Amino acid sequence: MPTAPAPDLKLRIGIDAVGVERLRRLVDGHDEARERLFTAAELDYCSGKRREYEHMAARFAAKEAVLKAFGTGISQRMRWTEVEVVNERSGRPRIVLDGAVAAFAERHGLRDLDVSLTHTQDLAVAQATTLWERRAGCAST
Amino acid sequence: MAVSIAPNPANQEVQRMADVDSAVKEAVVEALALDDDEVTPDSTLMDDLGAESIDLLDILFRIEKSTGVKIEASDLGDYMQGGIPDDEFSDENEVITEKGAEHLNKVMPQTNPSDVAGSLKAEEVITLFTVQNLADMVKARADGAGA
Repeated sequence: MPTAPAPDLKLRIGIDAVGVERLRRLVDGHDEARERLFTAAELDYCSGKRREYEHMAARFAAKEAVLKAFGTGISQRMRWTEVEVVNERSGRPRIVLDGAVAAFAERHGLRDLDVSLTHTQDLAVAQATTLWERRAGCAST
Repeated sequence: MAVSIAPNPANQEVQRMADVDSAVKEAVVEALALDDDEVTPDSTLMDDLGAESIDLLDILFRIEKSTGVKIEASDLGDYMQGGIPDDEFSDENEVITEKGAEHLNKVMPQTNPSDVAGSLKAEEVITLFTVQNLADMVKARADGAGA
């Protein structure tokens, strides 16, 4: 039977879907796109893989899903490279935050964050789940 | 006798502004695969034209190529907030303050401060950002002004 988060915590989820071909056109069409969207480690992970663009699209979807779960967005002075998808040895993805995104998480009481990715030849989808401290007068928690 | 006419700086400025407007519209049309007449200066990028984050990045890259003005997606937030500290731009519930609304009216003149203050959430501001707002931002950047 599902259990609700503790009363002092609040759950927020975010989901995003990215077309693989749309992502491919962007990164192949603009020289700087890869570096603006992905960290060096993410590019290393995707580079040379047979399904390179699917992996990139899944990572971009994860970044968007995380920002949606935060109730914010890239327009609010956050960079995509500040949400990094790293892979555990098991292959399970894990999110590492940096910069303005990490500061936002700290300021608003992020307690836990998990992400799940999937992709086909055409579409990548990511869902992020976040757990926040519930703070008086703060809508994001 | 040959007569040379000096270029009129005012006319040159008008032409430059028109060139930026045109470059921004072209970037939007191409990135979103729209017809030319679907994009007007008053069109909001996200709500009216359906742009998503990845499209926004594409638009900004195209503008950079055609105008030489580099804008990152994360710069949009700085432009809209205009250097106002977070806790002055929006309140503890992330709702735009009067001070925030006054600034938004400067960079997004279509917004009404009395409608925005106390009701619009900071995360929703981008949904009101129009093609003309983006062109104005490009012009401000080209002039070396932040906002």
